[in-house]
Amino acid sequence: MDEKCTQLWQKLSAALKPQVSADTFKRWFSAVELVGATDKTLSFRVPNNIYQYWIESNHMAALQAAILIAFGDPREIKFISSESPIEVSETIDVSRKSDSGRDTKPTSSSSLGLNPRNTFESFVIGPNNEIAHAASLAVAQAPARTYNPLFIYGGVGLGKTHLMQAIGQYVLAKKKNMKVIYLSSELFINEFIDAIQHNNLVKFRKRYRQADLLCIDDIQFLGGKERSQEEFFHTFNTLFDGHKQIVLSSDRPASEIANLEHRLVSRFEWGLTAELQPPAIETRLAILRKKARGMQIKLPDETFEFLANRIRSNVRRLEGALMRVASFASLSGKQLTGEVIEHLLKDILQEEARTSITIEQIQRRVAEHFDVRLADMTSKRRPASIAFPRQVAMYLARELTKSSLNEIGDAFGGRDHGTVLHACKTVKKRMKEQDNIRQTISFIDSSLQR
Amino acid sequence: MKFSATKEKLLEGLQQVQNVVSTRTTLPILSNVLLQASDGEVHLTTTDLDVGVRGSFEAEVEKEGATTLPARRLFNIVRELPSSEIQVDVDGKNAASIRSGQSFFKILGLPEEEFPPLPKFEGAKVVTMRQKDLRDGLRRTSYAISTDETRYVLNGLLFSFKENKLTLVATDGRRLAMVDIELEIPRSQEADIIVPTKAVTELQRLLTDNGDVKVSVASGQIAFDLNKTLLVSKLIEGNYPNYKQVIPGEAKERVTLERETFLNSLRRVSLLASEKSNSIKLNFAKNNIDITANTPEVGEAKESLPVQYKGRDFSIAFNPEFLMAPLRNLTEDEVFLDLIDEMSPGVLKIQTPFLYVLMPMRISS
Repeated sequence: MDEKCTQLWQKLSAALKPQVSADTFKRWFSAVELVGATDKTLSFRVPNNIYQYWIESNHMAALQAAILIAFGDPREIKFISSESPIEVSETIDVSRKSDSGRDTKPTSSSSLGLNPRNTFESFVIGPNNEIAHAASLAVAQAPARTYNPLFIYGGVGLGKTHLMQAIGQYVLAKKKNMKVIYLSSELFINEFIDAIQHNNLVKFRKRYRQADLLCIDDIQFLGGKERSQEEFFHTFNTLFDGHKQIVLSSDRPASEIANLEHRLVSRFEWGLTAELQPPAIETRLAILRKKARGMQIKLPDETFEFLANRIRSNVRRLEGALMRVASFASLSGKQLTGEVIEHLLKDILQEEARTSITIEQIQRRVAEHFDVRLADMTSKRRPASIAFPRQVAMYLARELTKSSLNEIGDAFGGRDHGTVLHACKTVKKRMKEQDNIRQTISFIDSSLQR
Repeated sequence: MKFSATKEKLLEGLQQVQNVVSTRTTLPILSNVLLQASDGEVHLTTTDLDVGVRGSFEAEVEKEGATTLPARRLFNIVRELPSSEIQVDVDGKNAASIRSGQSFFKILGLPEEEFPPLPKFEGAKVVTMRQKDLRDGLRRTSYAISTDETRYVLNGLLFSFKENKLTLVATDGRRLAMVDIELEIPRSQEADIIVPTKAVTELQRLLTDNGDVKVSVASGQIAFDLNKTLLVSKLIEGNYPNYKQVIPGEAKERVTLERETFLNSLRRVSLLASEKSNSIKLNFAKNNIDITANTPEVGEAKESLPVQYKGRDFSIAFNPEFLMAPLRNLTEDEVFLDLIDEMSPGVLKIQTPFLYVLMPMRISS
């Protein structure tokens, strides 16, 4: 226990003592050590897991109250048991040998294609992904009990794979006898084709239908593959009926996957659908800092801010840029100025700039969606069938680009800024009132951002 | 394979094994029962790969052999058959013809070879004890097993064979039940194992008042041999938490209570325990306990129980369900309730080695 923790613990114990009986304190809390403290969490080491069970079940309210008194704000509480779990794994091996019916290969996370770095601990949580993270954690803690299936979707490099692998590893670590299967839908299709070719479909089915946890990444690739969809449909049903957990990920909502059968779409939407959105600036900064700590590199704050500011769309690219800057700094030893970084990341920054949306793209997309001519976007005509799509386009232009009201007005056939403002207000109002309009607009919005 | 038996015998045999039958659809063979006819009796086996049961019934065996048939379906048919004499004839393709009186059924089975064999117990540690002792022990502890799947080591009953006694322990983090059964256990046969809930439940159904049970523990497996029936189960992997930590020190107050009277009072008062807080209060005064419950906006209940009590006045609250569970499962007339203060756990005891620790609930004054 280091100095800081000792002090905190003393403070906390003082607050805790009046909350519980003397006997309880002596019995349960005297052997507890505070081993880690941050602004959000406190980690306690307990001699063995009975302490954790008993404190969790009976003394949590007292502990929380004491924390509130001692530190002024609530913290998340974690327990670490000092009993080593290694003894357990030995006995498992022995029992596995004598096990008769089941496929008994001990599954290690690496053999499943799970990257050991992708755990819940290394996932940076922000407002853009907290639902997906919470749902994944709930699923990992109690598979098939809470959200089944769990459907995670979001753009490239936002953490879908990270979350799925974290679920897989968490389950493997906690419940060693659960059979976890993690693969991409592409691999699933390939294995299916292979099974048809070599005529061993039974083996193929057995492999997937006996899983306790099935994670399939990038499920959108199933679109258009009819036989694979059918096979997957049956696998899905078998697992679902057997109360086994299914986790799926995709780059778009199930209903938008092209050529996916309705019965599959409806099944995917059955459980919980969680969206991952691009991280906000604060989250991007947090990700950069965490990564930098993990890679043990030190960079000035301005550099972090520069990267977080300029690279918005994709976490993977953010990490790549960080890596590039860090290696440049350590190899050349030069001072990292704005220009140096700009030069270093020229291609990435250009790419970022290109993904920004133009008013023209918005007009084209909206016109296409409402089936009006592109020229109508700028024309003076204003029957309702044209005026509303035009207003939607103005609204989107206001939301998605940095253009001023005047610029938007100009792009829509020289209208003045009041017209644009009115359009935005009208659309917002109608979105609030009518579900179908909100859906339409968010659909166009997401298809533009892709 | 061909045999005939009375309806009662066949039904009894099926009842013993059919609860284990798997509800998992992944392996169809697991919803079947294995029938092996030989030498005046038919053996029945079912398994879900975690728990397996093997029983038998007397029959006139005309032709020896073995097959597997859908267990639930067979059970339902046999139960409904009108006449007491039943004849079963299985052909080479595992289709069984069942005749009884005017009824005829044909059900399709699966070959015997597909049925997973029950594990072998070689080099196992063996202990023999009276069935009645084990049954009473299970009854007194099994209700406290945790159903919280995230604490999987608690989803079973600890069997601790040590120091010439078998200690059974169950806990869910709020309460703990423990029983000691005296036994001669050689040093070499000592073991600490966790038996999953399903096996405990099945075992309770199979154990009777008479006869012995032979318990064999091998790595990861346990078998209970009840002479005519055999139950085999996988063990829960992991270490059971150090339960001794939970048992409180010396008690300050002890009251002796008539079990049934106490239980009935609790049951009545708990009708008005609110679902949200779900607690009832025991108010101790000289030679009297007031049991009270109240739910705001619903009402309240109070019952007085005369007892021998000379300690100080104080109140303690418990979850009524947790307090009634052991009272329901004990058979003794008298129980002892040991208390320290309103924030320390209460302990329920009887004359024989049994212990039930229950955490009090916070009293909001």
